[in-house]
Amino acid sequence: MKAFLEKDRLIPFLNTLSRQIEVIAPLATEAGAVYSTWQGQPLDLRSNPLSPPTEFLLPHKETLFRYIQESGRYTFKEDSIPPRLLFAIRPCDLHAIALLDRIFGSEPSDQAYFRRRRATSLVVLNCTNRGDECFCACLGAGPEAQDPCDLEITDIGDGYLCQAETPAGVLILQAAFNLLQPAQLEHDQEKARRLQLVEDAMPRDRSYHQIRQAIERADWVALGQECLGCGGCSFVCPVCHCFNILDRGVPDGERLRCRDSCILSGFSRLTGGANPRRTAGQRLRHWYQDKFEDLPKITGLPGCVGCGRCHLVCPAPIDRSDLKVESREAKI
Amino acid sequence: MEKVHTTCVYCGCGCGLFLHVEGGSIVGASPSPAHPMSRGRLCIKGWLAGDFVGHPERLSYPLLRQGDRMVRATWDEALSLAAAKLESIRKEFGPHSLGVLTSAKGTNEENYLLMKLARAALKTNNVDHVARLCHAPTVAALGSALGSGAMTGSFSSLQNSDAILIVGSNTTEQHPLAASYILHAKSRGAKLIVADPRRTRLAELADLWLSPRPGTDVVWINALLNVIVEQDLVDRQFIEKRTTGFEETAEAARAYTPGQAEQISGIAAPDLARAAELFGAADRAAIVYAMGVTQHAQGTDIVQALANLALATGNMGREGTGIYPLRGHQNVQGACDMGALPTVYCGYQSISSPAVRAKFEDAWKAPLPEEPGLTALEMLWAAEAGSLKAMIIVGENPALSFPDSYRVLKALKSLEFLLACDIFPTETTALADILLPAACFAEKEGTFTSTERRVQRVRKAVEPPGEAKAEWEWISELMRRLGHQADYPSPASIMAEIASLTPSYGGIGYERLAAGGLQWPCPSIDHPGTSILHTDRFPQGRARLRPVLYDEPPEMPDADYPFILNTGRSLYHFHTGTMTRRTSLLDREVPTPFVEINSEDARLMGIREGNRVRVETRRGSINAEARLMDALPRGNLFLPIHFSEAPANALTAQAIDPLSKIAELKVSAARLHKVIS
Repeated sequence: MKAFLEKDRLIPFLNTLSRQIEVIAPLATEAGAVYSTWQGQPLDLRSNPLSPPTEFLLPHKETLFRYIQESGRYTFKEDSIPPRLLFAIRPCDLHAIALLDRIFGSEPSDQAYFRRRRATSLVVLNCTNRGDECFCACLGAGPEAQDPCDLEITDIGDGYLCQAETPAGVLILQAAFNLLQPAQLEHDQEKARRLQLVEDAMPRDRSYHQIRQAIERADWVALGQECLGCGGCSFVCPVCHCFNILDRGVPDGERLRCRDSCILSGFSRLTGGANPRRTAGQRLRHWYQDKFEDLPKITGLPGCVGCGRCHLVCPAPIDRSDLKVESREAKI
Repeated sequence: MEKVHTTCVYCGCGCGLFLHVEGGSIVGASPSPAHPMSRGRLCIKGWLAGDFVGHPERLSYPLLRQGDRMVRATWDEALSLAAAKLESIRKEFGPHSLGVLTSAKGTNEENYLLMKLARAALKTNNVDHVARLCHAPTVAALGSALGSGAMTGSFSSLQNSDAILIVGSNTTEQHPLAASYILHAKSRGAKLIVADPRRTRLAELADLWLSPRPGTDVVWINALLNVIVEQDLVDRQFIEKRTTGFEETAEAARAYTPGQAEQISGIAAPDLARAAELFGAADRAAIVYAMGVTQHAQGTDIVQALANLALATGNMGREGTGIYPLRGHQNVQGACDMGALPTVYCGYQSISSPAVRAKFEDAWKAPLPEEPGLTALEMLWAAEAGSLKAMIIVGENPALSFPDSYRVLKALKSLEFLLACDIFPTETTALADILLPAACFAEKEGTFTSTERRVQRVRKAVEPPGEAKAEWEWISELMRRLGHQADYPSPASIMAEIASLTPSYGGIGYERLAAGGLQWPCPSIDHPGTSILHTDRFPQGRARLRPVLYDEPPEMPDADYPFILNTGRSLYHFHTGTMTRRTSLLDREVPTPFVEINSEDARLMGIREGNRVRVETRRGSINAEARLMDALPRGNLFLPIHFSEAPANALTAQAIDPLSKIAELKVSAARLHKVIS
């Protein structure tokens, strides 16, 4: 099902949706764009927020259950999961979600992940304004959505072409039916034209194979010396999904699942104290190895969607796709 | 989910971050892309900054001591009792028997109010904070040399440096975002000179690494100045136009020949010559330093020696130049700015100036004490001696963070009355008579001032646990109970008062503090703030060079105690670990206390990696796990300060810098034993 939404009807459209479900959207703030609950705040649909929307499926920290002790017996309580609609996520992040679905869906499937995943509707905004560091087209992740979502929208100038892909997507459109107009053939043509422009402007030198070659060539000792060990590349990567589990509180408390990063040495340290990835360079190499060697073998997809966030968030002068220490003209 | 933009709570870099809030608790954090300093980047501590906030061990109710037990009380009971106790001690022993330690973790507003409470309500200038043990020498030396004791440039200015001299700062671990600027400057071609006894990450990357013997900095810095003068790499025009004291300083430095420097500091003469060339020949050179410079019995002199170097080469007041003291706590700059110091009011206005005192008496409607107060350590020693009877200690853990802990504990125990306020139980709160639960940075409004003088908002993301309250609320209430007016509806109203009394904060108001804050001096509401200080003139007109002479550290290794013990921090922990040891990923990185030992020394003593060893000084001993390091010179030990089960400060020397009253924390004579277990 296709429809056209004029730009000045976007806010009423979101208002209609947010009366039914919590809408998460990219909000404009004084400190940059963030995905957050929309309650009428200004939107930022031009930039892809630095912190990816995958946190709504795999939170930085989530309570798996609470444990309560009473007369020596424990009872366990799970919090309910709020239904949510992720609005205007980018195709790269959608591709990451497709990958997370495969990772967490392999048997035994991860219940905590799928409880949130099932409660979440996905509305993807195709990319008509790419960021400076983006290279999704090199990895088959964009600029047009390549993976299943509920509703796909594209900015075609005066409005958005909306395409429902699932029954949930149809319901989303039906909920705001009076705000929509029928889609025309020109809308499709304009969409194709705009996405082609973005794709043509995309760098071509960061393909899966090129990055794999860079991994082989890279001077990991030199890169490790620059790496500040912040873990930021893991924390902004929409594909990164490793976690740690801990119990907090005695006798009552909660079992927490928290995001983790293989950039940290404690992640790979063995019980006896030895560490197979002792140096920062080895850990950084492993981070790439997992995305470009191991995950492709296991899931059939590269573990990178070309969003460029790891480059933006890295405090070190490291080019995160050439895998070189940056030189004079580099970013600051 | 809501995302609340705020300022990081750890080091002085002042990074911007969002706290992710869901169901009334913090579920994550992420960097703010538009922040002018951190620009979408954070260190590992920043990424995990919200983690400790909801920890079950948070203090949630006021507690009163009843014998050995602490019992729950209401705020009303606790504050009534506090007011009564402070009043009666003041009546009996005079205002000099009272002392206040404020918190470098607290907001500007809270530091200002506590400073006001001490002076206007308790009538004492005995107010200080942990800056005494970090950058008191910076405030003293740069204050007198340049007229302002703060970082002269902004981090972003380092992008334009041609050479950066980094002294006594393990920047990649202690100030990672500052290191980010340094690494980027290097990648653009800036030369790095690192002076540190330890071969730190930056030392490895540097164009030149100087490894001085701990405590000998005056020698090599003077010798460096000497070589620079001899080779005529000084900036004559700058010296003549903008400074005084160059001739006598250069004359004094002449006595420090490279040969002599090599003998005392261990830095080879050719290395010093190379440093002179790299630093002296650079068009724009900057000096970055931290605790390795200040935490010495000669701390003020070492800072002055660095200032001499910058001034003689004209590296001041321009992009890419200047002096960059890296401050350790996120608001230690603000606590100093707010006058939580025994000799100045906010904005470094001297209490000994009758005109200044009259201004504050007028504004606060109270007579103010004239006599300078005691510094942090002096207060504790006065408590030990019995002349100081009561203390208010807010958000600080001197029992672990101050030198010579056994003596500090004894001093705290000898107090008649201790009011402590904190977010977690600590070694210090265990001794309190009244313990008040504080709201942490994520639970209150206010401002922090970063090491680059950036005044930034701190915002409330979640409610404090139980009955915990922001300090400004109970400090106002305590002031009222002590008979002093304090009607502040919000922290913004406190900032309005600060702005009215503090020229450098004159133009700062909450409505102006967007994501990037404002850098002081910001004297008026239309002033954009100041990125680089001293561009045309120094506050006192000309900058002052001053000759400095080397004094040997008070305690050098000998036959009984053959090692030099150095103390510091780890990347993964902060201060006494109250927050980071409750952050699971940080605690996992470094779960146990360790001491770094040179690998060769360890081999000769039969110590393997991970063995338990005992470190002893004349003041105490601790046990820790051995970490073998090639990066540490022979004869040196390095011990982090975070661990209560191995308190580094049980070992540290108590020698005091006469000028700034900082303690010698970097050089203690120590010995080492393998623990047979």
